[in-house]
Amino acid sequence: MSLDPGFWALQTLNALQLSMLLFLLSIGLTVIFGLMHFVNLAHGSLYALGAYVAAAAATVGGYWTGFFLAPVAVAGMGILLYGGLIKRMRKSGPMAQVLVTFGLIFALLDLTRIVWGDIALAIEVPSLLAGRVSLFGIDYPVYRLFIIALGLAIFAALAMVLKRTQIGAMIRAGVDNDAMAACLGINVERLFFIVFCVGCALAGLAGAVAAPLLSVTPDMGLQILIPTLIVIVIGGLGSLQGAIAGSLIFGFVQTFGAVLAPQLASVLIYALLAAVLVIRPMGLFPAKG
Amino acid sequence: MFQHSALRYTALILLAVGAFAQAVTAGYFGLEVLTEILLLAMLVLALDMVAGFGGMVSLCHGALMGVGAYAYAILTTKAGLAPPVALGGSIAVTGAAAWVIGAIGARAHGIYFIMATLAFGQMAYSYVFEAPFFGGDDGMGGIPRIDLSLIGLDLNDSRSFALFCLALLGAAYGAAVLILRSGLGRSLTGVMHNEQRMRALGLTVWRVKADVFGLSGMIAGLAGALAAQHVMYISPGLLAWTVSGEALVVVILGGLGTLVGPMIGAAAFVILKHEVSNVTSHWHLVVGVLLIAVVMSRANGLFGWIEARWGARLERRLSDMTRKSDAEEITTDA
Repeated sequence: MSLDPGFWALQTLNALQLSMLLFLLSIGLTVIFGLMHFVNLAHGSLYALGAYVAAAAATVGGYWTGFFLAPVAVAGMGILLYGGLIKRMRKSGPMAQVLVTFGLIFALLDLTRIVWGDIALAIEVPSLLAGRVSLFGIDYPVYRLFIIALGLAIFAALAMVLKRTQIGAMIRAGVDNDAMAACLGINVERLFFIVFCVGCALAGLAGAVAAPLLSVTPDMGLQILIPTLIVIVIGGLGSLQGAIAGSLIFGFVQTFGAVLAPQLASVLIYALLAAVLVIRPMGLFPAKG
Repeated sequence: MFQHSALRYTALILLAVGAFAQAVTAGYFGLEVLTEILLLAMLVLALDMVAGFGGMVSLCHGALMGVGAYAYAILTTKAGLAPPVALGGSIAVTGAAAWVIGAIGARAHGIYFIMATLAFGQMAYSYVFEAPFFGGDDGMGGIPRIDLSLIGLDLNDSRSFALFCLALLGAAYGAAVLILRSGLGRSLTGVMHNEQRMRALGLTVWRVKADVFGLSGMIAGLAGALAAQHVMYISPGLLAWTVSGEALVVVILGGLGTLVGPMIGAAAFVILKHEVSNVTSHWHLVVGVLLIAVVMSRANGLFGWIEARWGARLERRLSDMTRKSDAEEITTDA
């Protein structure tokens, strides 16, 4: 263990970077749940799909093509899923939804394997973001700083939209009481469709952003799913504050746990989740009081 | 409350006869598949007890099975206990662990209960994965099977072991039926239908949930201890949440809350897995599409569908028969 300030700065940045990646994933999932009580376990698979699209596009047109194409492609996939499955599952209980999306995980996993094969793909960090920069007395990769900045920017943009715009007010009303919102003339169904597409696009974006850091493999969606679910349950379903708080808690506990208490690190986060569920069964910042 | 209908008895007899015939006639590979089916059937039986009759959809039953397997391995190889004692010990350990999980999770409902059980299961998984005492990600080997030479059975022979598993599955099924028919089981179903009313009637709801969850954990622990003996090697992969997810899929494909259905589902699942794997490596795609189709069809799995379609007709015919024989009895008595 080291008391060197550089060590703390490095681990803090690592924790922030992990948090922001998780935030991009969890925000879509949590608002989808809050607005329509829909549990989409296949969210992680959409993230994997985003990474694959980004990797495939990067080999043709460079990193930025993939970066912009992945969210669009995954949102397109989201529209297909919405029309084909999710719209019909709206009225079913959470159990049926969990199972259908669990089936989707299996199906999407094998579909990515069929299209892209089993071999891990890797893409290069774009030249603009390559290299390292000196910060707080340490050298840190620019690309990871870019992820932190992107996460913060998206958080700010979403907070702005939710707080200040009309559609944000409509979403908040829908999360709070969807039947009443519908009575007031808000088309909750269309609102949900929009939120679902944005959530899918953000999952695709997270996949594209994560692709150069981690290798792109078919099971990356399964691996990220559990952390994302932990984030939204700790944070409380349906709220922006919950998603960012949960992501930060997860990122910091995971990163500092791994360096300070490697024996306990993996158990620590699950113990924290169990503790939150016992003390505050609805999470730290539930959308509904 | 769980009740046997004529259809369920028929299915049970068919399953038992089929399994027994397979155990007597099959070759080595067939016996391995049969044992795999029997162990999965035991696990889904335990899961159906809590999910189908208590609404407690658990994503930690795979991990509980893993706890049973690890407890058996530790008790035999490290503590040096005799295998039958270790079997009892592993059942007790798993039951206790499940009771604690059930007690803590009792307050949570729906998706929160699923998440809580997922958290405990993953906690066990990551602990075992990291701990050198449990062999870490290398797993543990050299696990002995129970010695039944006293009654003339050599369990190191696959045929005897399959028959042994079949007998224990029968016992586990009997125990599950008895539990669900007892006051405890009826209270649990009452809690599932209306928790507030049961509380108003003076029931300690969390105790009921924890007790049944613990009993279900004991069955899962038995399945785990047998799985450890079957392969004679265990790895942390046994505890991963995907195992629990797969068990849940089997329960749903078979028919939630029918006990018989999930066991049929287990047989169909394992056989289908081996058949599809012969043709293509994309077994998961098949399961995924099948699962989506079954859930979207709104039928209660394979067995639930059969029950809904033919159950009523069959029951009527059978009750007609009994009524006729009753009438004959009355006339002869008179």
